[in-house]
Order: sequence, then C-alpha cells, then structure tokens
Amino acid sequence: MKLIYSELKKFLPDLNVKPQQLRDDLTMIGHFTNYFEEINDEIVFDLDIKVNRGDCLGYYGLAKDLAVFYNIPFNNLSKNIVIASEARQSLPITVKTDNVKRIMSVKISDLKNSTSPQWLKTFLKCHGSNSINILVDLTNYIMFLYGIPSHAFDTKKSGENLIWEMNSKFKEFTSLDGSKLKLDNKILMINNPDKALSLSFWGGEACAIDLNTTETIIELAVYDRTTVRQNSRQLQAITEAGVRLEKDIDPELIPIAFNHLSNLILENCHGQVSSQLFDFYPQKVQLPQIEFDLNQPTKFAGINIPTDFVLDCLTRLECKIDKKTNFDYLIIPPTTRKDITQMEDLVEEVVRFWGYNKIPTNQPLAKKNVTDITPPEIYLIDQLKDKLVELGYDEILTWPLVTQAINENTVIKTQNSINSEAIYLRQSLIPSLQQQLDQYSRYKLTNCQFFEIGKVFSKIGDKFVEKNALCIYNSNSDNLCRDARSCVSTNNFIANNNFVEIILDNLSKPEKYIPQTTVNTAYELTSQIITLDANITLDKQEESEILIQKYSKIIGNQYLWEIVITDIYHDTKTDKYRYTFRVSYFNTDDKTAKELHLKSFGLK
Amino acid sequence: MDQNLEKIKSEYLTKIDAVKSASELESLRIEISGRNGKINQLFSEIKNIAPENRKQFGADLNQLKTELENQLESKKLTIQKVELKIENSKIENSTFSLKKVGHLHPVTQTERQLNEVFRKLGFSVYDSPEIVTDEFNFERLNVPQDHPARDMQDSIYIKEPEYLLRTQTSAIEAYLLSQKSKDLPIRAAFPGAVFRNEKVNRSNHFVFHQYQAVVVDKGITMKDLIGTMDLMFKTLYGNDVVVRYRCKYYPEVEPGVGPDMQCFNCHGVGCPLCKYAGWIEMGGSGMIHPKVLQAAGIDSKIWSGFAFGMGLDRWTMAQKNIKDIRTLMGGNLAYKPNEL
Repeated sequence: MKLIYSELKKFLPDLNVKPQQLRDDLTMIGHFTNYFEEINDEIVFDLDIKVNRGDCLGYYGLAKDLAVFYNIPFNNLSKNIVIASEARQSLPITVKTDNVKRIMSVKISDLKNSTSPQWLKTFLKCHGSNSINILVDLTNYIMFLYGIPSHAFDTKKSGENLIWEMNSKFKEFTSLDGSKLKLDNKILMINNPDKALSLSFWGGEACAIDLNTTETIIELAVYDRTTVRQNSRQLQAITEAGVRLEKDIDPELIPIAFNHLSNLILENCHGQVSSQLFDFYPQKVQLPQIEFDLNQPTKFAGINIPTDFVLDCLTRLECKIDKKTNFDYLIIPPTTRKDITQMEDLVEEVVRFWGYNKIPTNQPLAKKNVTDITPPEIYLIDQLKDKLVELGYDEILTWPLVTQAINENTVIKTQNSINSEAIYLRQSLIPSLQQQLDQYSRYKLTNCQFFEIGKVFSKIGDKFVEKNALCIYNSNSDNLCRDARSCVSTNNFIANNNFVEIILDNLSKPEKYIPQTTVNTAYELTSQIITLDANITLDKQEESEILIQKYSKIIGNQYLWEIVITDIYHDTKTDKYRYTFRVSYFNTDDKTAKELHLKSFGLK
Repeated sequence: MDQNLEKIKSEYLTKIDAVKSASELESLRIEISGRNGKINQLFSEIKNIAPENRKQFGADLNQLKTELENQLESKKLTIQKVELKIENSKIENSTFSLKKVGHLHPVTQTERQLNEVFRKLGFSVYDSPEIVTDEFNFERLNVPQDHPARDMQDSIYIKEPEYLLRTQTSAIEAYLLSQKSKDLPIRAAFPGAVFRNEKVNRSNHFVFHQYQAVVVDKGITMKDLIGTMDLMFKTLYGNDVVVRYRCKYYPEVEPGVGPDMQCFNCHGVGCPLCKYAGWIEMGGSGMIHPKVLQAAGIDSKIWSGFAFGMGLDRWTMAQKNIKDIRTLMGGNLAYKPNEL
C-alpha cells in the first residue's frame, strides 16, 4: 500500500510530523512502513497492511487511525451529491445473488471525458497505476482513498440493465487489459442480458470507458469476501480491487466514497446525475456489543494505563460508549472496524495508542518451578548428539521430503508439493545421508563422519506414523559399529555398508539430560577442496603437532581446511629430516591455493 | 611363445610381484634360475621336443629366462630402496593429524542456546507430530476456513483438506494446550521444522525451522512477554542489541506484538539488507487469543498466556555467513575436521 503524504494531509490538515517520524509512528501502531521515497516532488510511503485491517487499504482508514494517535481532527472530504429533481429514472439493476452486501449506483449523462489532469496522473503514478482517462482514473483514485473499488460502465456498450449474478451462461470473459479468462458457474459477475460485462474485482473490455464516453453508470459495491477470494484464486487474477474486496469492507462507508466519486466526476467531467440513486443494502451491518472494564488494558499490558486515557481513546476511535457501573462499560465499535469484536481487541486498540514502547523491556518472566513436561525422547536426542560429537561426528540435516519411496505400500506421498523432486516423506535416513556423502564427494571432501537425528515416516492402514531415527555414517565400518555401540545399548541396527540406522522408540531414555551449549563454526563450501603436498627439510626432528600449529598459523584461517603430516623421513647420510605435509584449502581457486601453499612453505 | 611357457612365465611374474623381502626374493631366484631351478629343468627337456620345433622352443626358453631375470633384478632394486627407507625412517609413526572434532549443526546450536535461556526460567522443551490435521494447524489457532491469514501460509497436504505438514510451530502450541489443559500452569519452548509449499531456491525452502515459546498461567501480561523476548534477543545477539516492540497481527494472539531488531548492517539508517526500513522483522508474538485457550478447554477468564515464535534459519545464515538457504539441509555445509 502506497501513501502520499500531501494526500494524507487532506484528511488530516493539522498533521505536522516529519516523514521519518510518520514512518516510525505508523509502524508502531501496526502499519509496518518499509520506507518512504520522493516521486515527482511527493513523499510516498510504502506500507504493509495487516490482513485484518481492510479499512486501512485506503487513506481514509489510515487517517482515522492517525487522527486518534496524534489526537488531531479528521477532515471528511466527501459531500452529498446533488440529484436534479427531473432525474426520476430508476436504474433497472437486478441483483440475483446473496453474495452482494451492498451496491450504490447512479447514472451520469452529458459528461465529457478527457485525459487526466497532472495531479491525478501523479497520484496514480505514485500508486503504481497507469493513467487511462479521467473518468477511469477517478474511480481508481476513490479506490485508493477509501479502500473500496468502484467501477464505471459506458452505457452505450453495457446498456442500463445491469445484473449482479453468479455466472450461468457465459464461458469466457475478456478483461480490461485483454486477458481472456475461462468462466464457470462459481464466478460472481456483472452482466447485461447478452454480455458478460465485469467480474466483481476486474472490469471488462465489453463496456470499457473511453474518451468518447458521454454517459456512464458508476457503482461501488461490497461483496462476500470469501467468494471474491475464491474467484480471484480460481482465475489466477490478482488486482488492486480484488485485494481490497477480499477483506472485510464496511458497507456503511460506501455512501461516503460514492458521494466523493460522484462529485469529482461532476466537477471534472461536467455532466449531470440523470437517475435516482440506486442503493441495494439488504442486510445492515450487525455491530458487536462488548462488555469492557476500563482496567483491562492495565491488566493485559502489565503497566498502568489511566482509565481516563482509555475512555478518551475509545471516544476518539468513534466507539459508542454506554456506562454500566463504575468501570464497566458497553462498547460498540465503529462499523469500519471489522477487526474489533471482543474485549481483547479493544485492549489492543488502547495499548497501541498508549504506546507499546512504554512497556518496559527489562522485566522478563520470573523463574518458576513448573512441572517438567519434556518428553524423555528429547533428552535422549540431546544425549546422543553430544556423544556423537564427542566421538568426532558432525551433525547434518537433510530434506524430510525425498524423491524415491523405499516401500511403495507404506510410503506417505504429498498431494500438492510444487517441488517435483520431493514428493515422498522419507522412510529411512540412509538414502539422505548417502546423498550428503555424494555431495561431499563432489566437493572432494574426504574422511567425513557424520550423523542425523530426524523423523522417518510411514503409513500403516489409515494411520500416519512418524518416529525419530538416528543414522550414522563412517567410511570405516569397524569404527562405525564401535561408535554406534558406545552410543546406544542395542544391537538392533539397520546396517547398510557404512551406514547404521536406529529407531529411537526402542531405546531406553534418560529421565533428564541437560545438553551442552556449544558454538562452533560451519562453512558454506563454494568450490571443491584443493589438496596439495609440500616437503620441507629440517636439521632436527620437531614435534608434529607443533609443526602443524606453526604452518596453520602461517597459512592463515581464511582458506585452510585441514593440514596433516603424511610422512617423516630421516636421511641418515645427511642427518636431516624431511617432512611431507598434505594441506587442504577451501573456498578458493587453484591458483590462489598454490600461491599460498608455496609461499607458506617457503617453496617460492 | 609356447603356451606352457606362457603359463610358467605368468605364474613366476605373479610370485615376483608378491615378494616383500630380499631373503624371500633370493629363494625365488634360486627356484627360477638356480642350478636345479626351473629354467635349467626346462632346458634339459629340449631333447624330448620334436626336431622341427626345437629351435623355436629354445628361443622361447631364452626369452623366458631373460624376462624373469630382468624382473628379479628390478624387484631386487625396489626392495633395497624400501628397506633402506624403512631403516632410515624408523623414528616414529610417519603420519600425524590433529584429533577429529565433531560439530553440532548450526540450527541445533541456536536451538540449544535458546533452550538454555528458557530452561533457566522453568520451561520444558516440547515437540509434537509434523503431520497435523487442519484443526491443529489452523482451526484451533483462530484461523477458520477462508480466513485471509491462510494465504500467508501455503500448505503441503498429505490428504487435502484434513492432513497436512505443519506450517508453523503454533501447531505444536495447539497440540500442547490440548494435551496439558488440565496440568496448568505451562511453560514450554519448542524448536521444530515447519513446511510451506514453496519452490526451493537460494532464498526460499519448503522446510525451515522455527522456535516458539508458550506460557499459560494466571496474571500473565505483555510486560512479561516483552521482557522475556528481550532477554532472548540479548542472549542471541548481545546486550547492545536494539529491539523495538510494535503492534502486529497474528490470528492466534491478541494483542499482537512484533519484535523488530535494528538492522545490524546499517544501524537503523536503511540499506538493501533491511529493505531500507532500518529494522529487521524478527518474528511474531502476543497474548494468546481467548479463542485459542477456549479451543483447548482452558477458561480464558482465569488463565492467560503469551506465545512468541521466530524463524531460526535466516538468523543462523546471518551468523555463519551462509548465503544460500539450501546449504543448511543436505547441502554443502561442512565443518573443519579439527580446531586449527
């Protein structure tokens, strides 16, 4: 959602904060503002609007929030439209579906359409929309201001017999941008008896406004949001209108936005209202009545929020307030605020305007002895990990979704995974560790020994079964068996070459185990390990470990992976000692590794 | 060469190759070319060969003799070299490397750091199945069918619409509350893998890790929540970390709280890393929604609680300078074999 500062000030004339401050304040009260930028001399904010605040997908809702926060007056920009007394025609509109919550519509004749003035073009540009012509642009302008999509039909193309209905006879719809969409009978449409004119969230080519349009029917409508959402998903069409209509929009806001649009058209395109106002509103909004104790915000926040602030805040929010007893009130939220339905919602309103930043950050929950409900298997997993690390094994994690089934009869298959290489839940960890081994081989990483503890899955009858398993790899099978036995007291291994797999269900579990908290370094390999040998001759014999430490320091940590001594040779004729080093380098190229190698061993 | 001679040649070449010591080689030499050796034995058999074949047999026999003697000489030199080296290098075991050190996965390390913080406050560590029902992943968390919040989480279904892979660790919360609703108060933390139907690429994965903590007790407040979260962030990032707590929406909490950490790269000025916001979103939290407590049979008029969750993978990547999320699972993540 984009927000132009100067446009916001039309609703809030007394707003006088710097853009940086406005950005931070909007964020703190719940409208995360990523950044602001200057576009055509306008300061434009970029906001993420919460999914439960459909009212804030327009300037109107955001301005209402800021008016409460800054305690400044809100300026209503809308004025009632004037309908000429001779305009007695009733619009022949039919509504054949329950999915319409409200429609307001009127016909305007004798208008002159044209290109938009610069202010309107700039406004739309800041919102990422293209200018079409003034009539279309004004409908979009109103959508951005109030968060309610509006639509204009060219009556020469559409006729006046508009029908809101679930589609039953049209197979295809062509949108304003020329996209052809296949229709079925679940789509909410606006049609005339002969043509598919519009989707609920996207206008159609068949009745598009152009510069020759002289008469239009304009409408603002609110629909069942679930239907719009399903239609949008089904047709894979996302529009600015659709994004708004999927939210809970207040039908009571329609007259305000409608009057504003009508007046703007009359002002900018001239013309006159040539029909009676059509207002279809079968079921008025039912407002919740919330019992509210003025001390609740203090109880929830854990800090004192004065009751007079609470009352003032609810008043500024335009709640209806009915006093019951001393602190107990009956609160009716404004119709625009569909997100407020219970006491906790009112608490959030009060606390966010009081300021989350006034809640101290240095008073964590006090320690308390609460029954330990840690499953013993979690203790076992921690214990096994520590033992294996102590034995020199590295922990790895692999994908729980895999390419191949081991047992077609018991494998669990996902239904909609978009990753074709990962559709089965793994039945064993061994293939995953084998893949890891292959991956290490590709990077020329040798002498690895590693393990994973993770879930394995199977389907037994209609039941989905998941169990924790341990899998260990070691290139030396004798060491593998020795290490596995030192970790677990069972011989019930599934052994496969150099892998061992053990299901943890069957193992005895410790009553308690507090694991070690260690921090070690892991690396993302970006190229193959490069291994080079070097011979150096020394006058006397040196400790191997000291020599390794010495040359490690000379080579430096950046590219050094491992250093070992592979041979020590004593030449009895010269009484000198020749040491052969094997050094592995990582995340570098051959040339750099060789240069570093030769330089470090003084061979250059 | 005569087939019989070929066979003899092959046998002796194998024997020569297998010899390990000079004394062993000398015995073999006598067996082949000694006075009563195999070659002389074969020469003595010439008289039994048909006259027209004798010439060829003699030539073949000389060739055999030469080849075997050359091979014996060559082997003698090799053994001399080896034995000289062995004699001269018998000073210690010639290979040496530092002790192999094992490592925990970075995600496990972070989980343990967090578990330690929460254990000190009396929290248990908990887990629940990864295959969940729609009820536990959504309904019990105040996300009914067609709630727009479901758009935030594309699910991987096992059996649509009932069974899916959990999309959030809040599913563990729903399971925990249902299992322990009679054993209040509860303090529990749960690291866990969660799944979303995302294409795997450098930045996104269908499986990642979250960490969540839940408290249900009497008189729990937002101050408890924010203070505890701040303690957690200071443990992970150090005492100088700057975190702000703002209003944020999650269906399972009300009021909702969003912690943002000041961008460590630009210190709040704005940069590409934080998308010029100056802040990095760190997860979500809030007071447990009364509908969530009620769904577990917990009286929300008596008990209240908080919950918060955060992703572990991106934090781990930033800490370990890992650029590609695929590295974390079955990728090219590796550990140096020993501490240098």
